[in-house]
Amino acid sequence: MGPAPSQQAQPRSRLRSKFALVVVGAAALALVAAGCGGSGSSSGSSSGGTKVKGGTAVYALPPSTTPNYIFPYSSSADFSVSNISYLQQLLYRPLYWFGKGETPNYNSSLSVANAPQFSGNNVTITLKHYVWSNGQPVTASNVMFWINMETAEPSNYGGYTGFPASVVKNVKVVSPTELTMTMDKAYSQSWFLYNELSQITPMPEAWDRTASGPSHCTTTVSDCKAVYTYLDGQSKTLNSYASSPLWSVVNGPWKLSAFNADGHITFVPNKSYSGPTKASLSQFKEVPFTTDSAEYSVLQAPNSSVTVGYLPEQDAPAKPVDQTVGTNPLHGYTLSPLYSWGINYYVTNFQSTTGNAPIIKQTYFRQAMAYLMNQKSVIQGPLRGYGQFTTGPVPNFPKTQFLSPSIPAGTDPFPFSESKAKSLLTSHGWKVVPNGTSTCTNPSLCGPGVKQGQGLSFTFPFSNGVAWTTSEMTQLQSNAAAVGIKLNLKPEPFNQVIALAGGNCVVTKSSCNWDLANWGGGWVFAPDYQPTGEELFMCGVPANSGGYCSKQNDSLINSTLTTSNMNAMYTWQNYVQPQLPVQYQPNGVYELTEIKDNLKGVTPQPVTLAINPENWFFTK
Amino acid sequence: MTVFLLRRVFQSLIVILIVTVLTFALLRAIPGNPAIAILGPNSFRNPGAIRQFDQQYGFNLPWYSQYWLWLRHLLAGNLGFSWKLNQSVASLLGGHLPKTIFLVGISTILALVLAIPIGVIQAVRRNKFVDHFFNGFSTVFYAMPAFLLGILLILFFAIKIPIFPPEGPQGEGLGVLFTDFNALILPIISLTLITLALFSRYMRSSVLDNLTEDYVRTAKAKGASERRVLIRHVLRNSLIPIATLLGLSLPGIIAGALITESVFNYPGMGYLFYQAALNSDYPILLGITIVVAVATVVGSLLADIAYAVLDPRVRYVSQ
Repeated sequence: MGPAPSQQAQPRSRLRSKFALVVVGAAALALVAAGCGGSGSSSGSSSGGTKVKGGTAVYALPPSTTPNYIFPYSSSADFSVSNISYLQQLLYRPLYWFGKGETPNYNSSLSVANAPQFSGNNVTITLKHYVWSNGQPVTASNVMFWINMETAEPSNYGGYTGFPASVVKNVKVVSPTELTMTMDKAYSQSWFLYNELSQITPMPEAWDRTASGPSHCTTTVSDCKAVYTYLDGQSKTLNSYASSPLWSVVNGPWKLSAFNADGHITFVPNKSYSGPTKASLSQFKEVPFTTDSAEYSVLQAPNSSVTVGYLPEQDAPAKPVDQTVGTNPLHGYTLSPLYSWGINYYVTNFQSTTGNAPIIKQTYFRQAMAYLMNQKSVIQGPLRGYGQFTTGPVPNFPKTQFLSPSIPAGTDPFPFSESKAKSLLTSHGWKVVPNGTSTCTNPSLCGPGVKQGQGLSFTFPFSNGVAWTTSEMTQLQSNAAAVGIKLNLKPEPFNQVIALAGGNCVVTKSSCNWDLANWGGGWVFAPDYQPTGEELFMCGVPANSGGYCSKQNDSLINSTLTTSNMNAMYTWQNYVQPQLPVQYQPNGVYELTEIKDNLKGVTPQPVTLAINPENWFFTK
Repeated sequence: MTVFLLRRVFQSLIVILIVTVLTFALLRAIPGNPAIAILGPNSFRNPGAIRQFDQQYGFNLPWYSQYWLWLRHLLAGNLGFSWKLNQSVASLLGGHLPKTIFLVGISTILALVLAIPIGVIQAVRRNKFVDHFFNGFSTVFYAMPAFLLGILLILFFAIKIPIFPPEGPQGEGLGVLFTDFNALILPIISLTLITLALFSRYMRSSVLDNLTEDYVRTAKAKGASERRVLIRHVLRNSLIPIATLLGLSLPGIIAGALITESVFNYPGMGYLFYQAALNSDYPILLGITIVVAVATVVGSLLADIAYAVLDPRVRYVSQ
């Protein structure tokens, strides 16, 4: 997904801190019942009570967020959690599904295709027997339709990573159920599946058309532009969604029954769904809210119709350290924290033009800053216990095969220590002036480019939209002041911070006149589920916000792309983690989900933020 | 009179034009790239998307060319298309504006209907219990933030004693306001109480002022009853400042409606504007600004015309 802002879920980009993509990790109910992964609380899980068929589940959409783009080939503007998780993936299933239990792992059961078969530079994709709601089978041509679209219209796909053009030489439909790709070289099988094939959503033949009639994007790339233009236009006539002959062709577990542009959306089961679990509910409704307070008022009211909602963070009682869930202030609901699959950090600008770049380039300085970020205090304080440590470039919650065994999950790699920060500075030629401005007294020790008498004073714009981030920044400012590092905090709207610091300022040709920046959300990995780092930490990539650049790091990242063995991932992480290409900060909870006690199957919630209401059922 | 009218119409058009230029320029002066604000951080992975957005919406043109493009569309009746909500500004206004007008309209009428007699009673019973009671009442609600009042109403009348729903009517269109009117009661009460507090204080003050006027003494000397003096003379004159106040306070009432709309999950125009500002959704911001500017200018023009028609002194001076 990408940078994580606070409330507008954008898969694979910076999700705004509160956006909860409820990921569809639709593990079949049977699988969930069988304990298919995930920790999670028992609340809302499939156990307990006698299952009742039917009923209507009402799902509270995040505040100020309503799905408004149905075409799965979404541009960056529409590439959001609300569109993908709350609308598109309920109707149109991606080729490969990620989200198993609460992990972001590949879920073969919910995938439309069998696991890809790799042989040297070749990949073979074999489709399962899925059918569209119009009776036609899901075929390799439907997959080709997407691939051709991504070849023709890369600028209009929000999840674009260069696939297929930069990694695939040839794609061929072998049969209605089989398709082969020839890669330009052998890639890591895991990376190719998790980060490239993960983008594909088969599209029905009915969509291969323009206003004037059927087209041939499925076979002819040059036809795709006109098809895209037509489908994009159709996707912007919101009130026609439920009746549209285009959008009513689905292969997911749900189909639209009613769609109001204001966010009131009703789904009913797709009776021809070919996946492992057919919906048990008779209806699934989504309802919009202006604010989280308004939503909370509705949850508090007796006989609230909302069956899956959320508790505003500010209303959550503090969670005891030794528990996964704290006291739930709501009666009749079960609380289940949902985290996103991402890392959270603030950016240090290695390319700053303020004169501080030479200081920021010093590893000892970045480590001193890391010791001043008190992740534990932030989690227990402003986050009320609902946060996870960020331990490096790979998410450590939930713990997955991607995380290096050398990096312990759930612990701060740089535990708060003013004395260590001070020691790092003094041992590198700085005269530390508590509550003043420390200055360099020995440039040969301070580092190349640092001048005699230069002070530790930095500009620091940060997003002021999220309360806990503001508290965290104030605390960091205070901690830094104790060792004479002056942080000139500038609270700004999220959009301004992300526009300033979200991209590599040299590559994007924007202003480099800032030192540190925090938009509050770090990075969410979707649909690039394997956190290999080529998008964030390689020299000169646009999303490498701080401009960290190391040839060794690049080499190690390249190994993670071409070596299937996970040891390459571990070697890279072990190298880059203490280098601090970014400054780690806690990953706040994405959503405190509240689930009505008589609704089961909602948990475990996958960190991919998908929702799988086909797994949900009421009990009596 | 014709010259006066033509001159006022011409002035109004100039004012609207200036408003559009200022609004457009101010929006362009906001720091940050609108393409990034709309496309989100994903755009950093795909710089082609930013270029495409800039071309599609004219951000690659000089600001005056962008303005001219927008003005041409506006003159053709096209208010624009929301980048963020994927709907035309006209359809968004069509969906949200009636909700706000309905809520604000009913609340304002109710507030007036209640404030006028309350203000008169307070003035007539000055420094008596009833005056002190309503003084306290209006002070409390005038000082109370709209969101707090809304939350308290929800707490008491939707959660503790569940008489009303905790949110406004849900669904599209005006029809839902009538089919689920019960859900509109708490938002109306919330907005009414705050407006009532303001109006009643002004009404009391206005009546008190008029009660000391010479014409009141004259009327009484001529044998008019207290009731007749109050209703036929004092009340009519006391309403003049209230009418002025009503016009001046409309923006404030609409601003108050924004808070009430948010608290009661009742998305109206104020809320739409607020969200558009957060999302840098310029077409919506411009569209709403134009609608409000036109309404204000037309309202002012009509008021001027009415004054000119009704008050010979105004017509004489203007000529």
